[in-house]
Amino acid sequence: MSDHAKPKKTPKPPKAHGWMAEYADDNQLLDAARKVKDSGYTRIDAFTPFAVHGIDEAIGIKPTALPWFTLCAGFAGLTVALTMEYWMNAVDYPYIISGKPYASWPAFIPVAFELTVLFSAFTTVFAMLGLNGLPRFSSPFFSNPKFDRTTDDRFFLWIGSSDKYFNSEKVQSLLTSTGALSVEEVREDDSPSDIPKPIIFAIIAGILVTLIPGAIVLNMRNAKSGESRLHVFFDMDFQPSRHTQTSTAMFADGRVQRPPVPGTVARGELGATDPYTLGYDPSQTVSTDSATAAAKLVSFQQDGEVAGDESKGAEASETPAVEPSETEPTDAEGVAAEEVTADPGAQPAADEAAPAAAAGVPNYAWLTELPVEANGELFELGRHKFEQHCALCHGYGGYGNGLVAQRAAELAQGYWLQPANLHDQAIEEQPVGRIYYTITHGKGKMGSYAASLTPEERWAVVAYVKALQRSQNAQPSDIPTRGDIAQ
Amino acid sequence: MAANIPNDNLTIPASWRGMAPVLIAVGAVCVLISLGLFYFTGSEAKPDVGFRVFFHSYLANFMFCLSFCLGALFFVLVTHLVRASWASSIRRLSELLAFTISWWALLFIPILAMVLFTNSQALYAWNGGPGSDLPMIVQNKLSYLNPGFFAIRTLVYFAIWGITARIYFLLSRKQDDTGDTEISLKLQRWAGPAIMLFALALNFAAFDWMMSTDAAWFSTIYGVYVFAAGLLSFFAVMIILCNMLQNSGRIEKLVTVEHYQDMSKFQHGFIVFWAYIAFSQFLLYWYGNIPEETLWYKVRMTNGWQYVGLLLIVFHFAVPFLGTMSRHVRRNRGVMAGWAGLILVAHWLDMMFLILPNAAPVTPMLVLGHLICWIGMVSIFLALFLLRAGETPVVATKDPWLPESLAYQVGP
Repeated sequence: MSDHAKPKKTPKPPKAHGWMAEYADDNQLLDAARKVKDSGYTRIDAFTPFAVHGIDEAIGIKPTALPWFTLCAGFAGLTVALTMEYWMNAVDYPYIISGKPYASWPAFIPVAFELTVLFSAFTTVFAMLGLNGLPRFSSPFFSNPKFDRTTDDRFFLWIGSSDKYFNSEKVQSLLTSTGALSVEEVREDDSPSDIPKPIIFAIIAGILVTLIPGAIVLNMRNAKSGESRLHVFFDMDFQPSRHTQTSTAMFADGRVQRPPVPGTVARGELGATDPYTLGYDPSQTVSTDSATAAAKLVSFQQDGEVAGDESKGAEASETPAVEPSETEPTDAEGVAAEEVTADPGAQPAADEAAPAAAAGVPNYAWLTELPVEANGELFELGRHKFEQHCALCHGYGGYGNGLVAQRAAELAQGYWLQPANLHDQAIEEQPVGRIYYTITHGKGKMGSYAASLTPEERWAVVAYVKALQRSQNAQPSDIPTRGDIAQ
Repeated sequence: MAANIPNDNLTIPASWRGMAPVLIAVGAVCVLISLGLFYFTGSEAKPDVGFRVFFHSYLANFMFCLSFCLGALFFVLVTHLVRASWASSIRRLSELLAFTISWWALLFIPILAMVLFTNSQALYAWNGGPGSDLPMIVQNKLSYLNPGFFAIRTLVYFAIWGITARIYFLLSRKQDDTGDTEISLKLQRWAGPAIMLFALALNFAAFDWMMSTDAAWFSTIYGVYVFAAGLLSFFAVMIILCNMLQNSGRIEKLVTVEHYQDMSKFQHGFIVFWAYIAFSQFLLYWYGNIPEETLWYKVRMTNGWQYVGLLLIVFHFAVPFLGTMSRHVRRNRGVMAGWAGLILVAHWLDMMFLILPNAAPVTPMLVLGHLICWIGMVSIFLALFLLRAGETPVVATKDPWLPESLAYQVGP
């Protein structure tokens, strides 16, 4: 194509670009520049080997708009950073880091600072290039070999042909009158402006070469290969850590999974071992206890075949109240406990605790003494909490005749179960830990109060219940006799 | 070369100098008024609280003035160190500011006397000594924070600054007569070691005098913070000082608009540097969230001090940062003097924020007393400066780089 085009090209004189004058020093240049500017020309430029003070005023360069680019980019960077961080941390993926709020403005500042600087710096560089019309591969000035000395010891002043007052002869005479060493016309470069073919070829080749790694990756992802895979990060692919449930020679007991250090308490499970929060002493509750052991056994056998079958049989014969379909572990625990304690061969004490066993309460080593100091403050707290949470059903006196119970009795609904009378002998005889356990876990229709009452408040309620029981079951011996009074 | 130097009026106006005794009197009276104000407004339950607040207020205002004198000393040293020719026409004023440092030692005597001769914990809790009821973290610091060592260190700091400032001022004065270029070269050679000693003394003085008002707390960047605040306020003082001298017909040609632009640029830079250091200190402590480190900020985020902190963010950083960004603002000395005034007010709040929260919550009475104490201390500062300056020419006309400084142009 180009072979056909070339012969058609007619040589024409290079386009005029203006006139340039050469000076020996910067003072001459400054004088000339002032004179040219005073003549009314505005398309002027100066070329010097070093920065010349006052040249800006002399050729009338307006203050650059570059700072505004920088300022706007700085604000843009600041806004982008803060918005991005807020959106990421507080909206899109709220995640608590170091216990700080989602929108942690102090933590946002460093990134905001960096992005402000980054945006400003890049914008300044590229806006500077843009305002200067860069990059340019060539300039008309370069066609004149004299101009090379502008980087060494010569000073040049140029009046552009695009100036609205430009007149070639007048400009030439004006520049000559300023004492220039030489005044020459600047012409557009007439050398071919096409990019040389080898360079185009090199650019295309470069682009193709950069595609190779991606192509290899794509090919390897989609092709089957008999060779083993390439391990780039060998120690990541083959780590020295062991799989669970395997053995090792590193430890004496050969176990890979290490037991926790004695005394370790898992997070959130402090109450699992503490009599204060349990109401019983787990270390005293031995596994030979038949009810507990059975409960544990069943709880391990989820949807258990053997234990589940047995309990079903037991339900059918003795405890029809419990749904046979309940196979979840917790329910199974209750069912199994019930089965064992309701066994005819069990000891007499277990018979007495039958209501408790029926609700799935195992036979723990209950605390028989308050684990807190029983003082007036505690009783007052217990009374307060009892009247707040318990008296609605159990009544202020504890007889199971609270307002809710009275209303239910009025409505005479058949499904209403009378709240427990706290002065029943069975409850009177319960140790404090057992009452605490009931408050914590609930019983029958009574729900758990663990969420409403802290352990301390529960113990306070226990103390108050014990005091209440005592107050309603006074013995004649409690009344002071004449002799006692005398003493 | 001397022919190039414009024949400016180089002495401080006599009417200013005549005010020095009045200023001294005003200063003394104001400081005493603030003492009385604090003393009689101390609560009945804690009669010593008045003294507590007064000494904290005194120290804060003392550091307000001393910090820009120290900034001046640093400026003298660093311009010699890097042979900054542009600064030649304003260096003498910095030398005069720095030359007052040795007299500031006299104003530290009340604090030093309290530490040496009493067990008062009005300013420094550690001054109670090992017998007093100090937390363990302070007890462990008593081998460093004890009256004797404190006094020795204080003398060393003032010796380093005072002697350096004296040497640099007197040799520069000698050059006024002889025009000996060797003097400049000698000062340049010694600027390096002097600046190291200066930096050490400034850091430890900030630790000893200011940071130990809360002896349990520690921050290794504290000295840098004080340095940044001091240098920032120094540039503000210089802009105001040059502007006032030029308004009264002095140094009209020797200090050019280029110098204002450069001082403003430095001031702008140190606004950012101050904010950078202040935020660095805050960010690490905020993120680490360790009680012994955050307590200092806890005190400054309650009792009304949080508003002072917010004022600092706005008026010590954001507003002057944006306000003095423009070249047109920087080249207008009247406008820049206004901005420098704002910086000094913010610097006063900054010194208050560093020291006073340890003593009391923000109350109108506290601010009033502190303000009166400030007026007193600034009066004393002005008097000291005027006495030191006397009839000394405020530009070193024989400085070999003065012609270069006058020909200097910032560029577009």
